[in-house]
Amino acid sequence: MTLPADPATRRPALGLPAGVGNPVLLVLVIVAAAAAAASGFVALAPNRLVSGRPIGLLSAAGAAPTIAVAALGALLLAAALLPPRKPLHAAAAGLAALLLLSTLAAAGDAASTIAAAAGPAARVSLGAAFWAIAACAALAIVDQMQRLRAGPALRLLTVLAIAGGFAALALAGTFDQLAIAREYATRHQLFAEALGRHVALVAGSLGPALALGFPLGIAAVRVPRLQGPLFAVLNTLQTVPSIALFGLLIVPLSALAAALPGLAALGVGGIGPAPAIVALVLYALLPIVRNTAAGLAGIDRAVIEAARGMGLTQRQIFYRVELPLASPVLLAGLRIVIVQTIGLAVVAALIGAGGLGTFVFEGLGQYALDLVLLGALPAIFLALGADFLLQTVAALLPFRARR
Amino acid sequence: MVVAGLTLLLGALPAAASPQPVVVASKIDTEGALLGNMILDVLAAHGIAVRNRLQLGPTNIVRAATLAGQIDIYPEYTGNGGLFFRMEKDPVWKSRVRGYAEIAKLDREKNHLIWLAPAPADNTWVIAVRQDLARRDHLATMSDFARWVNGGGRIKLAASAEFVESPSALPAFEASYGFRLSDRQLLTLAGGNTSATLRAAAEGMSGVDAAMAYGTDGAIAALGLVALDDDKGAQIVYAPAPVVRAAVLQQYPQIAGLLDPVFAGLTLATLQRLNAAIAVDGEDAGSVAADYLKSRHPPP
Repeated sequence: MTLPADPATRRPALGLPAGVGNPVLLVLVIVAAAAAAASGFVALAPNRLVSGRPIGLLSAAGAAPTIAVAALGALLLAAALLPPRKPLHAAAAGLAALLLLSTLAAAGDAASTIAAAAGPAARVSLGAAFWAIAACAALAIVDQMQRLRAGPALRLLTVLAIAGGFAALALAGTFDQLAIAREYATRHQLFAEALGRHVALVAGSLGPALALGFPLGIAAVRVPRLQGPLFAVLNTLQTVPSIALFGLLIVPLSALAAALPGLAALGVGGIGPAPAIVALVLYALLPIVRNTAAGLAGIDRAVIEAARGMGLTQRQIFYRVELPLASPVLLAGLRIVIVQTIGLAVVAALIGAGGLGTFVFEGLGQYALDLVLLGALPAIFLALGADFLLQTVAALLPFRARR
Repeated sequence: MVVAGLTLLLGALPAAASPQPVVVASKIDTEGALLGNMILDVLAAHGIAVRNRLQLGPTNIVRAATLAGQIDIYPEYTGNGGLFFRMEKDPVWKSRVRGYAEIAKLDREKNHLIWLAPAPADNTWVIAVRQDLARRDHLATMSDFARWVNGGGRIKLAASAEFVESPSALPAFEASYGFRLSDRQLLTLAGGNTSATLRAAAEGMSGVDAAMAYGTDGAIAALGLVALDDDKGAQIVYAPAPVVRAAVLQQYPQIAGLLDPVFAGLTLATLQRLNAAIAVDGEDAGSVAADYLKSRHPPP
């Protein structure tokens, strides 16, 4: 979600005339318009197994939504051509948010109209034009927020406003006839369970991973001899394919559960969440240990010497000097770990741990791509959401990361 | 006899104090979900406490978990005995009766797993062709297919690399029926996903008009394809049957009597229809299984 720093002051790029205010926005508008003209906005398939026939924006959504989307695009084009000013960035961000929501609404309405005329097994899925317009609108929002130099509060408000608009559309039943919503409808109880399980798997593996990885990272800095073998082991672990790791974990964990009935009663066993969490912890160790070590090693020795000169004990130096100074790097590591773990937890479905991967693998097996999306999209939004929250926390820290 | 009775008694005693639920699992695919839900529903309807571990994972994970005692019952295919006991080349798996007897004996003796009665269906590899092509060129069996290919008939088959290379798959068809597909007549797709090969044939992608499929695939008819009959029995028979741990069957001996009639009713056509309800119409496997059981085997 991070674009190159501070484009507001940069000279116009891409060989555009000097008068063009925002080449990034201009490119986004052109890409979205080209996609809308050249590819299907939605696709209609007679059942969920065959490929859909693409239907363009105008014939799918009708005149009014098409005009609304086109008008918002035209206004954004105008914003891209005007000289940059703060109020203009705010207006463009708002327009892009409106474009995102009206594209979503247009897709939902189109699906309802088309599905009503087709048979019950017919599926209306989202087409290339939809994804292109939605992605360009989202990138335009990010770009304009950066030009506005929006603080964490304004960013949070923007995200909440868009999420609120999406929730309102969903509650009104706008999306009910889209193929992905049809997949959701047959599995809505399983979905809530899978989402909860996914979050639980991630949370359950982050705790042990931090408890193990943080001390290991400190040890790696304090005892340099340790670094070689430690990182060799962690790097090797990272390269073991997850499905192979699950297979290897079944026998020892089953034996452990059989030997200690108390553990078995807690749900530890060769299948289910236990092997998934063990695997996720092992994969999370490398980024945690590496970032902890890098954060602590990157502190200027002179600062620590000064602290020692002021009479601080080793313990005080760690908590008052090293930890705060390393915290931006530590948080960056945490962001990587959370995003990585949310993504990897999808594979946990292969060992009976549940989570959003259940839908991904069921969908892959049936070649039902909308079912794959039902698992993949929430995982992506979980990862983006967690990353955004941590970014906000990092921005509120007293020590900013050095660029 | 006395020893067996004692083991049964000892095995049942602690369980009677705190009944451990029967762990029902299945593979992650469509038919696994369907058959697993049937087992789960039937046991639960007859008062046996169950634990749902359906769609656990791929074959190797489910098998490993069963051998480790983590799974009590799950549906497996007789023909996989070749894979499990490293006997892929043994012709015994090509016979429905002898293949079942072989895997039942091996698993009972080596792993204390009991194979209950299999369904009268075969989820083996088949070749499916477009219905229009089958009608025009009178293709109903693999013998017809061989005659058509040898007579210079135009064909392009979409298949997984495994199907093309594994001696028990396409090479077995070619050897039994006396034909040979050239590289130009094959479109090899990575992975073993029959939905992808069937879709390629149905939509004529890259000139494909035939596809590798599984016998009980629900999508074959829905996509306008027809499976060719393996009239010479070239393929390994993959009959689905519930596999249960011997200790659990001793504790609940009624399981066999409950599941045998259910699996006996699962013919090829029935499985195709139920799999299609899940894969083509997008219905939930649990409700497809429950509706079928309600119509055919009403609860007591």
